Amino acid sequence: MKAPISWLKDYVDIDVDINTLEERLVSIGFEVEDIIDFSDKFSGVVVCEILSIDKHPNADKLSVCEVDIGEKQLQIVTNAKNIRVGDKVPVALDGAVLSDGTHIKDGELRGVKSKGMFCGGEELGANDSVYPNASFDGVLVLDSNERIGESMINVLGFDDAVLDINITANRPDCNSIYGVAREVAVALGKKCKPLDCSYIVNGIQNTANMVTVEVVDSDLCPNYFMQGVTDVTVKPSPLWMTRRLFKVGLHGISNIVDITNYVLFELGQPMHAFDHDNIKDRTIIVRRALSGEKIIPLDEKEYVLDKDILVIADKSKPVGLAGIMGGLNSGISQATSTVVFESAVFKKENIRKSAKKLGLRSDSSARFEKGVESYTADMALSRALHLIQLLNCGIVTAGRIAIGEEIHSERQVSFKYSRISKILGISIDENLSSKILESLNIRTSITDGVINCIVPPYRQDIDKDCDIIEEIIRVYGYDNIQSTLLENVKVTVGGINVSHKEQFAVRDILAGAGYNEIITYSFGNKNAYTKMLFNDKYKDNLIRINNPLGEDMAYLRATLACNMLNTIAFNLSKKNKDFALYEFGRCFFAKSLPLIEQPKEITMLCMSITGENSNFFCLKKAVDLVLAHFMLPYKIKRSELCYLHPGKSADIILANGEVIGSFGELHPTVLDYFDIRSTVSICELNFDRLIALSAADSFKFHRISKYPSSKRDFAFVIDSKISVGDILETVKDISPLIESIDLFDIYNGGGLSAINKKSVAFSITLTSYDATLKDSEIDNVSDSIVEELRKKFGAKLRDN
Amino acid sequence: MKETIDIILNECLTELDNNPTQDEIQSVKVKFLGKNGRLTALLKGLKDLSPQEKPLVGQLVNLARERIEAKIAAVEEAVKQQKLKEKIESEYIDITADFTHGKRGALHPLSMVNKQLMEIFSDMGFVVKEGPEVETDYYNFQALNTPLDHPARDMQDTFYITESILLRTHTSPNQVRVMEQSRPPIKMICPGKCYRVDDDATHSPIFNQIEGLVVDKNVTLCDLKGTIEAFSKKFFSDSTKVRLRPSFFPFTEPSVEVDLTCSNCGGKGCRLCKGTGWLEVLGAGMVNPFVLDNCGIDSQIYSGFAFGFGIDRMTMIKYGISDIRLMYQNDIRFLQQIVG
Repeated sequence: MKAPISWLKDYVDIDVDINTLEERLVSIGFEVEDIIDFSDKFSGVVVCEILSIDKHPNADKLSVCEVDIGEKQLQIVTNAKNIRVGDKVPVALDGAVLSDGTHIKDGELRGVKSKGMFCGGEELGANDSVYPNASFDGVLVLDSNERIGESMINVLGFDDAVLDINITANRPDCNSIYGVAREVAVALGKKCKPLDCSYIVNGIQNTANMVTVEVVDSDLCPNYFMQGVTDVTVKPSPLWMTRRLFKVGLHGISNIVDITNYVLFELGQPMHAFDHDNIKDRTIIVRRALSGEKIIPLDEKEYVLDKDILVIADKSKPVGLAGIMGGLNSGISQATSTVVFESAVFKKENIRKSAKKLGLRSDSSARFEKGVESYTADMALSRALHLIQLLNCGIVTAGRIAIGEEIHSERQVSFKYSRISKILGISIDENLSSKILESLNIRTSITDGVINCIVPPYRQDIDKDCDIIEEIIRVYGYDNIQSTLLENVKVTVGGINVSHKEQFAVRDILAGAGYNEIITYSFGNKNAYTKMLFNDKYKDNLIRINNPLGEDMAYLRATLACNMLNTIAFNLSKKNKDFALYEFGRCFFAKSLPLIEQPKEITMLCMSITGENSNFFCLKKAVDLVLAHFMLPYKIKRSELCYLHPGKSADIILANGEVIGSFGELHPTVLDYFDIRSTVSICELNFDRLIALSAADSFKFHRISKYPSSKRDFAFVIDSKISVGDILETVKDISPLIESIDLFDIYNGGGLSAINKKSVAFSITLTSYDATLKDSEIDNVSDSIVEELRKKFGAKLRDN
Repeated sequence: MKETIDIILNECLTELDNNPTQDEIQSVKVKFLGKNGRLTALLKGLKDLSPQEKPLVGQLVNLARERIEAKIAAVEEAVKQQKLKEKIESEYIDITADFTHGKRGALHPLSMVNKQLMEIFSDMGFVVKEGPEVETDYYNFQALNTPLDHPARDMQDTFYITESILLRTHTSPNQVRVMEQSRPPIKMICPGKCYRVDDDATHSPIFNQIEGLVVDKNVTLCDLKGTIEAFSKKFFSDSTKVRLRPSFFPFTEPSVEVDLTCSNCGGKGCRLCKGTGWLEVLGAGMVNPFVLDNCGIDSQIYSGFAFGFGIDRMTMIKYGISDIRLMYQNDIRFLQQIVG
């Protein structure tokens, strides 16, 4: 909300500097986002009188002028055409800075010295709203009454500053100069002057005879007020009014339109002025638009409407979009002689929706979206009529059309006074509370420990005890709140939940293994998933966001692997190489589409290792570390996950048969699509299931054998297609004496007796818990291994 | 006889004084103490002496032997020490010629801060909770006193999936979820990802928030201030001060903005705090009775406070990160800085 200090001063005596004012406003809840100091717009520009104009000796288009700036006379060279001797014009002197940042210095133009420059309105940041003819493209010729040597800041009324205040959503009443003035008065401990809304009814006409109003859809328009003005003279508004409009970002149009804008800013109530002659059949109908109905509002674009949009219509057509913008066909023109002012309350939700749907927002719709109320709507109409008389531009008719609900009146809120200290934790003297509330126009009485508050109608945000308590403390000052640490509250045992605890444990493990944590956006997109070779069925199950930031962030992710690949590609493009990454994050799975309930959210862990020397087994180490943390033994089998290399990937299967995730090197096609030229291995685990199945809590230690273990080494030659895992798995099951098996060599080079063979070497450790192992027992196990592997795999003991 | 013993002894000690090698020591041993050594010979000759001389000379010879043996032990030790010294000197490496240093992986800065926050609040008796990132309109807005036409919805540009299912815009829905599931005393925090339609230099469509909620009998605004003060003293420094300013959130009343002494300049004013000496970091307030009652907690008996703040901003302040995008780009050169 932009509030010029000069305008605020109409209602409250501001006797502090602007920084103190800002501080006070902040302390009662009004954050000043910006102070726009108009006196900073330019500097060093004063009024001068032109004493003579001579042709420039060396240039046809330039003139040499002698001017009087009061204290002295100067020579100015100009190319201006619209000046005459005796004119008063602004001159920028040596050292001046113009509104566009231009620095002015003494100089020479074609050999003639110039001690400054004449200015046009634009160079001073002014237009017609600020000074007559200031929009003219040329030197600004001033009124002959301007004082020579006077600073142009004063001449243009720029000796003023505008506060740009952030109004919180609960205070729509402060989206107005008068609302801000009320708060300024509270902040400075002053009284706010009443707003003059008086007017005299002079005409013989009665509004009721001029127009008939029918509010069909009162659910969207709870209050509608109208009053007419006859004998209107449409002309420019006085400078004091247009200057104020200029400072809040508008410009003067004509007195009637300016009055509606002025009231919009002064009271926060949007108004509309209808040209009475344009209202067909003298009937105003407030109704929902018909589907397909069209209107061209003042922005001169055509909009097609539907039945959710409220319009102001005559008997045949819409003449305005209610609360948003008037129709081009009903606006005020130079020929307008009779005006009816509309001041209404439209439902904020509907205005918001309609404005959004039409893509058309205005100062008016912005106010309605925040909420207006009937008390101020009624008052605004009176204020507009007061201004009509102040500007002497029409005759106010008798009779106000007022349709709808009862106009808001004062509200009552009562509660036990002790609630104040119960909520705040400090006690505030009753007299002080009453005084504070009084300053907010809330009248109070306290009897038998109960405070009774009468709240003014414009404070629609106050209806409970806590609202009153907030009013008291924000004015009393939050600095009075002490620090206490829940002294009267029961003791609680805190704690971090399992998921976070386990995530941090795994983070530490992975950090030790050299993995770096990344955090990426939770979005995904079909294009990237196509690059990961996911099929249509997979992609059809993704959850789409209705209003995404872009197509690349249009879906909720169902895998962390995609962003992982993007991050890898990004790092490689930055010439980073040989790195290991991981991410914890949620993936989203629809139970059905379109969604009828919240999707399933699963916390996943994605790990990757990138680099020329990395491979499947490098990543498997990390998988081992994570699974070991949860004490979950697992088996692997070849994975069919689309984005992994079919020959270098595995599914991770837990003892209960559940596949907890997959890992492996990337599919060469995927590498290509992501433009990655390095070996990448990636793993994705369902972290929620890891936690759920964790065996770490039920773990028990077992004794160790008193008897010495024995070791035996084996080397077998087998068919190269047989997987080593199957061999080791078989060996393990041969005898309970086998405590561990360690693979130590696989060889498929020369020296083997046949091609397509490989040699697998491992050692077994045998342990008995009952007695020292005899050689015969060890030999028995050895023989069984040789025999079993021969039978099952055709394995032969290697002979060399 | 005594003279003979002294001569042998002196001769032997002289040889041992002469920086002998291990081999030379060995030959000294043989020469003097060996089976046919000179001292041994004297002992052998004892049998030819008179009974009076025998013990006397025997004692002298043994004394000489002990001295020689002690000397040999000392010389041998010296030789061993010398050898060890030479060996160690020969084994010196250039300890700065390091190309095998172990690289520890880094936790993401957001995780580091998250962990710290959870630990601080957990120590203060708060439980850590989690909630869904995809929320319903009810929990994200309506139950928090933000009905459909509420102007506060303007403050939050929401990603919608359907009309009633959306990406949570704040962690506050968990206030409601926790209050529905448990009874006072409640002391919880809930960290998590939040989403808003926003993407520029200072805003990311995804950001991390932490929600705090305390509900019991006798919870006051002073407790809110004290709790935040205790937290910020632990998180930033012991000299951190807390300032409350009035604000507005639909689900708290009174609502406050909480400023902390700028951790960068200690309150003197710097670029980080735009010269004010204060950092605007938290939104908070007393839980609106509407919210309490709506969750089945009688607002006439119980009161509570809630607060929420951005973990991203806390992280940026704590680690001096100037651009939020750095945190989501995941450049290794950025991430690795924290482990050196």
